[in-house]
Amino acid sequence: MIEFRNLHKSFDSHHVLRGVDLSVEEGETLALLGPSGTGKSVLIKHAIGLLDPDEGDVFVDGISIANASEKELRHARRRIGYVFQNAALFDSLTVAENLWLAQTDEREGRSLENCRAEAEELLAKVNLDPSVMMKLPSELSGGMRKRVGVARAIAHNPSYLLWDEPTTGLDPVNADNIDELIMTMREKLGVTSIVVTHDLDTAFEVGDRIALLYEGKVRACQTPEDILKNDDPVVKRFVRRTTRADAVE
Amino acid sequence: MIKRTTRSLGRTGEAAVLAWKILKVLPRPRLYFNAALQQAYVMGIQSLPLVLIMAFLGGAVTSQQTGTQFSGGLPVWVIGSVLAASVITELGPVLTGIVMMARVGAAIAAELASMKVTEQIDALVAMGRDPVAFLVVPRVLAGLIVFPLLVILAVAMGIFAGWGVALLAVDGMTSADIVYGMRFYFRPWVLVFSVIKGGVFGVAITFIACFVGMNGEGGAEGVGRTTTTAVVATTLALMVLDVLLVPLLKAF
Repeated sequence: MIEFRNLHKSFDSHHVLRGVDLSVEEGETLALLGPSGTGKSVLIKHAIGLLDPDEGDVFVDGISIANASEKELRHARRRIGYVFQNAALFDSLTVAENLWLAQTDEREGRSLENCRAEAEELLAKVNLDPSVMMKLPSELSGGMRKRVGVARAIAHNPSYLLWDEPTTGLDPVNADNIDELIMTMREKLGVTSIVVTHDLDTAFEVGDRIALLYEGKVRACQTPEDILKNDDPVVKRFVRRTTRADAVE
Repeated sequence: MIKRTTRSLGRTGEAAVLAWKILKVLPRPRLYFNAALQQAYVMGIQSLPLVLIMAFLGGAVTSQQTGTQFSGGLPVWVIGSVLAASVITELGPVLTGIVMMARVGAAIAAELASMKVTEQIDALVAMGRDPVAFLVVPRVLAGLIVFPLLVILAVAMGIFAGWGVALLAVDGMTSADIVYGMRFYFRPWVLVFSVIKGGVFGVAITFIACFVGMNGEGGAEGVGRTTTTAVVATTLALMVLDVLLVPLLKAF
């Protein structure tokens, strides 16, 4: 379980998060919606200790991330996979090396064939051909890079996945593929996910619950069906601009 | 003014923290040893031609200038002493430092800044890896290994060039004069001093470049700004260290 408690974060004079309270249950996929610059990515970066809160805390399986020792933080991070918005692959390393880097501890003492087989298996999980293994990230398309980013995030079998704008910049077909991938992770691997997105289609497709972050606070956090019935004008304005959401109604 | 001072103090503190993190990683060579060797190889091979060219030109200029300025006033063997003193204690390490600052320091700062702005460093942290062990220690260690070696080669090339040019350009000069002049000046400590200087420059340049690069922000423009900052900071550091190290020469 991931729990954000009264989280505050400012950058210089800009108060981005103004007391966020939110919890994500085991096995759940939470879609986090909100206008640009409202702090969605900032929020999930706190869950993995990439940012320190000014006030409040994040608990991952009961461990306080803000007060964790380096060792505890490292252990917590090994349970979380983070899918970066632009994949953040190491551009000087091949796809296989990117994957191996994420599972170095697990690789120790194993043969090269074994490692190759594992990398192939990871690529198969994200529907990528093994032929991409020796390519550099610059030789891949945006969609493929994103998939390698997902493969890298799941390489150490995490219990949690944090998706930062997984479908931004992708064409509709690739965006659908990523949505399917998010659902597969939950169904096949039982992973708990937080999906930060602008894309309402993605939010309604993959989210067990949808949270709306507005002006640094959680304005609503409900199931897709319930959030569509929410009378709050801010929520209404944000979530009803969709076609697929209508289908849920 | 107060804001700038606070920021400078903050930066100094951050640099001290980075230095402490490097020291903490050093007892675990498994984390960085292979990467450090790879970095050292790349740094050395890429920089060697330019270092040798600069040293050749530095040595050639020194013996010509000395020959021109001293002609008629002092015996010609003095050129050998001046050549050895200038090349071993100053030109060898400083020219190598300048080449490495431009060639290696700028490249490190640009690479790390670009990794920072594209979230590659965050990705390392998110995977539970230590960016200091993975990115900084191998580069700083490579600087410590490669710079002194390059300084030795630069000194050898500078003296060789100065010797050759002196024979060609200074009337009445013989190899025996040059050898006499060099032996008159030379003490083994001078060479040790030169190598130490190379090591200090190597650590300073790579450390500053890593520190500036790891703190890069903004997009492509930010990477450019970071690289410029790294070059300016390493140039200043190089010259300040050059001055501060002089007493060491007199110590033995």
